[in-house]
Amino acid sequence: MKRPTGDLAQALAAEYVLGTLRGRARQRFETWIGEDSALARVVAAWEAGLMPMAERLPGVEPPARVWKAIEARIGRRSDESVWSNAALWRAWAAIASGVAVVLLAFFTWLSQGPRGEPLFVAVLSSTQAVPYGVVSMHSPDILRIRMVRPVGDSPDRELELWVIPKEGAPRSLGVMPNERGDTIIHITSSDPRVRGAVSLAVSLEPPGGSPTKRPTGPMVLSGPIAPVRRG
Amino acid sequence: MKDVSPEHLADLLARTALRDHAAFAKLYEATRAKLFAVSLRIVGERPLAEEVLQDTFVNIWNHARDYAPSKSAPLTWMFAIARNRSLDIVRRTRELPDIDDALAGNLVGDEPEALDEMARRSDAHKLHQCLDELEADQRQAIGLAFFHGLSHSELAEHLRRPLGTVKTHVRRGLNRLRDCLARRGAGESLGS
Repeated sequence: MKRPTGDLAQALAAEYVLGTLRGRARQRFETWIGEDSALARVVAAWEAGLMPMAERLPGVEPPARVWKAIEARIGRRSDESVWSNAALWRAWAAIASGVAVVLLAFFTWLSQGPRGEPLFVAVLSSTQAVPYGVVSMHSPDILRIRMVRPVGDSPDRELELWVIPKEGAPRSLGVMPNERGDTIIHITSSDPRVRGAVSLAVSLEPPGGSPTKRPTGPMVLSGPIAPVRRG
Repeated sequence: MKDVSPEHLADLLARTALRDHAAFAKLYEATRAKLFAVSLRIVGERPLAEEVLQDTFVNIWNHARDYAPSKSAPLTWMFAIARNRSLDIVRRTRELPDIDDALAGNLVGDEPEALDEMARRSDAHKLHQCLDELEADQRQAIGLAFFHGLSHSELAEHLRRPLGTVKTHVRRGLNRLRDCLARRGAGESLGS
């Protein structure tokens, strides 16, 4: 069967979201959603249309064992055994030593950049831990983002850099092109946007950046902030 | 349930994408009862609904970075995951669940009188108004399918109507919803 368009696509998407599209027809339709972004948008529109019905249902408290099971299942992904402190610390040690190697390379490389030691650095990595760039803060007011490769194949998107504070919503530091190279953002280390920052993150946004002052695209990169010297 | 504003949930989802365990725990805290209620209606039994809730949140943890706030509201995205998982897992040869006809019938029940401007413009309000425009048979079939995950043949059995009639009610009801929602500007992709 060919992928549906027009009214047929609307009708199938509606029954898919409603739940009356079942069995093999449902599975086939799910495959099409993955292949066809126009169809995915129709499904998303039906979801936005119908899901508010679910908000009318009174909540039902699940038992505590569900959360324990969820934690066990997501913990096992990073270690063979059940999530434990030992596993956590081993993972942390591995990450920390990886960061140390990157930092060492970074300092060597830094001699070509703005003068002096940075105040802090952050390595921007994908969720698969592939590094894509390094952010470094230099006094008096230079934040340099050095991208070593573009993210994915989204040529029509820009990257937006966000400060993730300990509490509260991400704060935008501005946009940068999704390509290899340096971007300089002028900001002082006492700027309120960087107050309480624990990590930096990058989202894919339309050209010019998020229209809503919050991330609208997926968070593709992130990295914890490592202080280097006192500002 | 404390702060479940879409902005707050989107923030927690963004942090979950960054592998922030504490944010993920807060996300679970804020949404578990709603998602559990949705699954429980569809699968009909608690052990199965617990399994669905587990799968749903493992899925959310694994796919949080695919969530794009520009495309859907956080709760819509999460409801869709929970409903899809429920529909996957629901037993084909099940007995019909205890059906809450009142719930489906009350889809157009009273809304609070003094709606502020935000509420009036919300998707929930638009849907409510559009459901109100349907014929009772159409609304009932759509409500039962949505809340209890009934298939066409289960709907026919429960409503004691011929299968073809029930399919027509669902199809026509959805068509009218589509026209109405598009007219009210909910979802640009519902236009033809």
